[in-house]
Amino acid sequence: MTTDESISVEGSVLTVRGLLRAASVGALTEALSRIARGGGVVVDLSACDGMETAAAAAVFDAIRRARNTTSVEVRGASSELLQVWEMFGLRAKALESVGRPRSLRTHFEGVGADVLTAWDVVAGLLSFSRQSLEAMGRTLRYPASLRLSLALYYMEQAGVKAVPIIGVLCWLLGTVLGYQSGYQLKTFGAEIFMPDLVGYMVTWEIGPLLAAILVAGRSSSAFAAEIGTMKVRQEVDALEVMGFDVFQFLVIPKLIALILVMPVLVLIADFFGLLGGLLIGGWYLDMPASVYMSRLHLVMLPLDFYWGMLKGLVFALIIATVGCFTGTRVRGGASEVGEATTTAVVTAVFLVIVADALISLVYVRIRPGVIM
Amino acid sequence: MSDAIPILEVRDLEGGYGSSRVLRDISFTVAPGEILVIVGRSGCGKSTLLRYMVGLSRPWAGSVLFEGSDIWSDSGRVLSSARRRWGVLFQSGALLASLTLLENVMLPLSEFRDLSPAVLRLAAFRKLDMVGLADFAASYPLEISGGMQKRAGLARALALDPDMVFFDEPSAGLDPVTSAELDQLVCSINRTLGTTMVIVTHELPSILAISDRVIMLDSSSQGIIAQGRVEQLKEHSDLRVHAFFHRLPQGQANDVA
Ligand SMILES: Nc1ncnc2c1ncn2[C@@H]1O[C@H](COP(=O)(O)OP(=O)(O)O)[C@@H](O)[C@H]1O
Ligand SMILES: [Mg+2]
Repeated sequence: MTTDESISVEGSVLTVRGLLRAASVGALTEALSRIARGGGVVVDLSACDGMETAAAAAVFDAIRRARNTTSVEVRGASSELLQVWEMFGLRAKALESVGRPRSLRTHFEGVGADVLTAWDVVAGLLSFSRQSLEAMGRTLRYPASLRLSLALYYMEQAGVKAVPIIGVLCWLLGTVLGYQSGYQLKTFGAEIFMPDLVGYMVTWEIGPLLAAILVAGRSSSAFAAEIGTMKVRQEVDALEVMGFDVFQFLVIPKLIALILVMPVLVLIADFFGLLGGLLIGGWYLDMPASVYMSRLHLVMLPLDFYWGMLKGLVFALIIATVGCFTGTRVRGGASEVGEATTTAVVTAVFLVIVADALISLVYVRIRPGVIM
Repeated sequence: MSDAIPILEVRDLEGGYGSSRVLRDISFTVAPGEILVIVGRSGCGKSTLLRYMVGLSRPWAGSVLFEGSDIWSDSGRVLSSARRRWGVLFQSGALLASLTLLENVMLPLSEFRDLSPAVLRLAAFRKLDMVGLADFAASYPLEISGGMQKRAGLARALALDPDMVFFDEPSAGLDPVTSAELDQLVCSINRTLGTTMVIVTHELPSILAISDRVIMLDSSSQGIIAQGRVEQLKEHSDLRVHAFFHRLPQGQANDVA
């Protein structure tokens, strides 16, 4: 085959023979800049059989540099090589900016674009919610259209499998709440009110909120990833052109599953939270379980539990909708699926807490007072 | 030339997925500078064979030799040095979505060539220009069509001016004109740079235009059922080969032959 290149220098003439490879082009560019310091250079390529592309680019660059200080004459270059070099000459400038790290200005432009996107997202989320509510309405009118097996699958994934983690964390938090409030109340000799505090905090806030945050973390990301991946692989498009109601197929089973499991998860969370309080009461405040229970019985209303379950229902709507919506926004490739899962969790948790604040405000106004 | 030591040799290769075998008793050689085309009906294991040839998976049995040494020997050193001299074009293009086309093509260059960024950019651009994507250097893979992604993948496979290039269905999804241009490109690269090519394709016109030698796989025998020049295979007595090269449904080939 072709012999490997050789580069020789005689006076101001640099001769290249054979096939010039990129790996050894360094010697050539070095020789070129060395001779160029002494005056005009001639590059003789008549014995050169060809160049690897990277070598051609490197030689082009070296000659261009040398021409800044002196004259360079190229002899015997093939017409093909000259064509390539001519193209390099035309494009070199424009290529400088392709894929450069973004400058500050474009970062600012990026912020502007992000704000616009944020608005887009809100509008999109609202219209998506409306569509899924409509689909929900259709499902309620024709219950046969519900994909029951899918709904059951998601109930298991999002609900049953979340029970252990929710139980453990709520039990821990109930313990901490009991300990913290007991510690404060002890100073006033008012430990007897510890069950009140734990009971209210767990059933009003911690139970529903913790259940929702965990479900958001586990399931809204999973929903987003599932739908996002299906979009990337054009499965969603395929469903659509086959005439499927995409909402019915992809959104409703998840939505229904969460709506059914969330209130139950809230009750479970309440139970373990209160249990935590009971145990710490016995250990830290020497409060017998019977006292803890009768105190709870005295101050808590069934409404406290129902209200928490209602919260769970609202959170379920938020989590499922946000997860599915974020999934449907995936347009590009696999990396966007990853981004979508993060976005889904952050957005869902954010909206859950906002909703929680609103619902709690209402509750303190409407809850009948308790006679001590 | 024909007696040259093979640049790549597959010896008694056997492989598959999980417990299901896809290939067995595969042996053939690739001579330096030749264009070897691997054909076969969809699902017969062409992509799988290619994965073994480029060292993406380890065969169940048998070996793949690059310039006489087993690519899996010497704790991966043979493979990693061989990889610098190979280019691979995957079936889907496999570009990195977060990078522009120019950056995608620059990727292998900047990893394996010690040259300034400006030079790398020019070299990468030249490759994009070769595949007709000069005007899309700054585009991202998702902003161009599937056929264009494939061409960009080709540009990346060629970035290092490799000694050997593997293609998995390079012309699938391309229009006939672009496909013919691609064939021409492959031939001209093969002639001018002496690049050895291993190409998986279904396209009869491509096979006729570019192949020096053809290997045909079939799933019924999980292996090679014929090899040789296209003219020989067209006259082959095996019905499966005949059906393929004459574009007949397999049933009909029975009647003709
Ligand atoms: N990742 C995989 N896991 C299991 N089986 C696979 C996988 N990829 C391919 N196969 C099977 O191996 C066989 C050969 O596939 P492939 O090599 O992709 O065929 P071709 O490229 O010739 O169309 C097919 O039967 C396919 O079902
Ligand atoms: Mg394939």
